[in-house]
Amino acid sequence: MEAWRSFVKGEWNNSINVRDFINLNYTPYDGDASFLQGPTERTKRVSNRLQELLREEYEKGGVLDVDTETVQTILAFDPGYVIKEDDIIVGLQTDAPLKRAISPFGGIRMAEQACKAYGYQMSDKVKDEFKYRTTHNDAVFSAYTDDMKKARHCGILTGLPDAYGRGRIIGDYRRIALYGMDYLIEQKKQDKNKLGLNDMSEENIHMLEDLARQISFMNQLKLLAEKYGCDISKPAQNAKEAIQWLYFGYLGAVKEQNGAANSIGRITTFLDVYIQRDLNEGTLTESEAQELIDDLVVKLRLVRHLRTQEYNELFAGDPTWVTTSEGGISLDGRALLTKTSFRMLQTLYNLGPSAEPNITILWSEKLPEPFKRFCAQVSIDTDSIQYENDDVMREVYGDDYAIACCVSAMKVGKQMQYFGARCNLAKVLLMALNGGKDEIHGVQVAPEGKVFEEKVLNYDDVVEAFKTYASWMAKLYVNTMNVIHYMHDRYAYERLMMSLHDTNVERLMAFGISGFSVLVDSLSAIKYSKVTPIKDERGIISDFKREGDFPKYGNDDDRVDEIAKWVSEFFYNELCKTKTYRGAKHTLSLLTITSNVMYGKKTGATPDGRKAGEPFAPGANPMHGRDSEGALASLNSVAKICYDCCQDGISNTFSITPNTLGKEKKDQIGKLVGILNGYFAQDAHHLNVNVLNRDKLIEAMNDPLKYPNLTIRVSGYAVNFNKLSLEQKKEVISRTFHSKF
Amino acid sequence: MIIHSVESLAALDGDGIRYAVYLTGCPLRCVYCHNPDTWIRAGKDFSAEELFKKIKRYKPYFGENGGVTFSGGEPLLSADFINEINEHLVKENINYVLDTSGCVDLTDSVKKAIDNSSSVILDIKFYNDETYLKYTGKDMSKTMRFYNYLVETNKSCWLRTVIVPGINDTKEDIDKYCEAIKLSSNVKKWELLAFHDMGFFKYEKLNITNPLKNTSPLDEEKLKILQDYLNKSINNIIE
Repeated sequence: MEAWRSFVKGEWNNSINVRDFINLNYTPYDGDASFLQGPTERTKRVSNRLQELLREEYEKGGVLDVDTETVQTILAFDPGYVIKEDDIIVGLQTDAPLKRAISPFGGIRMAEQACKAYGYQMSDKVKDEFKYRTTHNDAVFSAYTDDMKKARHCGILTGLPDAYGRGRIIGDYRRIALYGMDYLIEQKKQDKNKLGLNDMSEENIHMLEDLARQISFMNQLKLLAEKYGCDISKPAQNAKEAIQWLYFGYLGAVKEQNGAANSIGRITTFLDVYIQRDLNEGTLTESEAQELIDDLVVKLRLVRHLRTQEYNELFAGDPTWVTTSEGGISLDGRALLTKTSFRMLQTLYNLGPSAEPNITILWSEKLPEPFKRFCAQVSIDTDSIQYENDDVMREVYGDDYAIACCVSAMKVGKQMQYFGARCNLAKVLLMALNGGKDEIHGVQVAPEGKVFEEKVLNYDDVVEAFKTYASWMAKLYVNTMNVIHYMHDRYAYERLMMSLHDTNVERLMAFGISGFSVLVDSLSAIKYSKVTPIKDERGIISDFKREGDFPKYGNDDDRVDEIAKWVSEFFYNELCKTKTYRGAKHTLSLLTITSNVMYGKKTGATPDGRKAGEPFAPGANPMHGRDSEGALASLNSVAKICYDCCQDGISNTFSITPNTLGKEKKDQIGKLVGILNGYFAQDAHHLNVNVLNRDKLIEAMNDPLKYPNLTIRVSGYAVNFNKLSLEQKKEVISRTFHSKF
Repeated sequence: MIIHSVESLAALDGDGIRYAVYLTGCPLRCVYCHNPDTWIRAGKDFSAEELFKKIKRYKPYFGENGGVTFSGGEPLLSADFINEINEHLVKENINYVLDTSGCVDLTDSVKKAIDNSSSVILDIKFYNDETYLKYTGKDMSKTMRFYNYLVETNKSCWLRTVIVPGINDTKEDIDKYCEAIKLSSNVKKWELLAFHDMGFFKYEKLNITNPLKNTSPLDEEKLKILQDYLNKSINNIIE
């Protein structure tokens, strides 16, 4: 076949197997960044237009425009362009850049609220259309039990995807470029025929229906490409087509779904095969290759969804998590690193720093040194990228996984995730002390138990009570998730994204803990100092008196770090005791995104000395201000938490001032590489790196226009600092900035 | 031994990533001291073995040239303790750097601590006995003897000088430093540091008089000019 000319043949020719194709055909690159090219004149024009659009969007309060008449679907809207004659990679979600569409499939009420929040009114036409239609949100709430609603209301279980798209599913968009849609459709039809031979169990019928829905949307995707004058029924012939075909898949997905995090996967090593072939054939120059990647990234930076205010509280800064995964090592020991991984990073120079795409480096001790140094340089210059440990993930997920959202690994096209936000374990501790009552509202949420007296707390008694309530929580949490995802599959199924997965997909159900370090320090305080509860007029413990000091998580002190390990392991095992919907595998994350602020607001005073309503630390981070032995001690504490029980990720956000790393850029790069090597050598999982001064953030808070592109890593993703709420900005500024003088 | 504090990431005090141990006690009372809280022996008590155990946890970060930096206070007042820890460090192949004023007697123990170090960061606080005495409380003789010992033993070292506005911030001052110190090939660089006010709160906390409380931090631009000037003067000795 002409499209596959000069490719090495293998397994991938007999069945869908992108991994095999990559391994047989990619050109590893272990050199440095000196080959990279700056922006072309065309890229500069497009980039300027992009900056203008972003500024207008910011000035209009965060949303540039909304089409209130048209419901978003794959085929809604005429083609749109950034600059029609300059676009190389084409396709927008609507007919104009940054114009948002309404997507009421998750819930009509939410779509209406989202319009209102930005001063728009949803059209009556849309309201009428959805009047008699069951949305995901309607369905979930019809099945929720009272216990589930109570847990949700008091804030021990919140942020669950019952009112928005669950996201965290990565279609294998590479398949479109490699095989063309016709072949993929044909494979799905064959799968459907095979299922037809089985007895019609509920699961079998379910899968048949899924396949029918997938195939219908695969056909729609071809029509979307046709609107832009492209025929994606056949495989891509060259690099430009490969990027375009792949992007159409992603574009169709984000037109169909407004899931929280729709990540694009592990694409650069795949695309590099095409780019390298064109370079060899003399049909592409390095500058043109960079231009292609630059233009793809421009499109990825323009992805938008219309969100409600409540959603923005959970996920601040309007993120879309177009996460890309770079680097890593193959099972045969070669670095899965190509020049296109460098080209992807180069976009942060050619187009300026940016939160999206969420570039994630799959770090391994075996990655070539020049790439490590280039990554560190990009971190220091842009604060836009994050790092995750390929050496621990590869053992679980193989060598063709990608990161969805912030830290969630999954095998591309072979695994999908049922996203489950998080449960507030700090609050569960307070509930355990209060015999199952919520300390804020005073209502009985969990089964009634013993209320602790106003006497010095005994550690063993507290742990026993905590275990009882955490166990109750785990069961309710799994069951709540089962309801949500049953309904999501039914009413908001990701037809296109799932069509780019194997039919027999493996499912993961991802649970999460918030308030992790607050809980751990609270238990440590009870164990090592004297903590006495104080009851209020309702007889509810709402404050604590503490005498003496206690070891704090974040100082590489085993006395408390052992508690941290125990909490994650215990809760994971408790979750595993309840069966999941569709046999999904339980996974757990320590990741809060930016909801640590909201969760803190809903939680009373805690025994560690945190006051009622104060924010938690994000993810697995130690509480700010409590780490007294410096940056590496803090990293060492987090590194102790076992990835085995937190296979959905252990998020750690790390901010350091440039001068602490060194005086010269060269020193800073070397030291940052050293920090990353040392942290990940201890099997730590994730690190967000910010290299900046707190003063700069304070300046930006006071004068947002001074730094329009100030990007900062917050919790598994990056945000444009100016897009945070004042409350969130203050929380980010209050975090520990490791500095030394 | 009483340790004032530790800093798990001290990337500026020596090559590579370093774990800094701040020992207590100091023979000097420099007017610009930013760690007056290390003058007295107060902090947490550690045995050599306990401290070593903490240090060892950071070995993954040290790479080829990182390690421990003993600072203070004056670390060489605790030379015996450093020698004791080094018995453990040697086994783990972890190097250490001394960050010192050199204002100590060259006892056998101090010599041993110097000889076993991978390098020394030596403060050249002032350029003659008069200024040294005026701003630190001691004369310069011990530091000079210390420096000469480094030269004799060819011990790799960095020199450091804090530049304070109005005290030693002119090119003429730099000339005087260069006259006072006869550079030798064991000196790898001479680094000027800017006086800053980030340690001022410690004076207030300890309720001791801060002699420079009305002095402003040194301008970074000025520091750069002086550093460039110094580099030019010593160019023929240090690459």
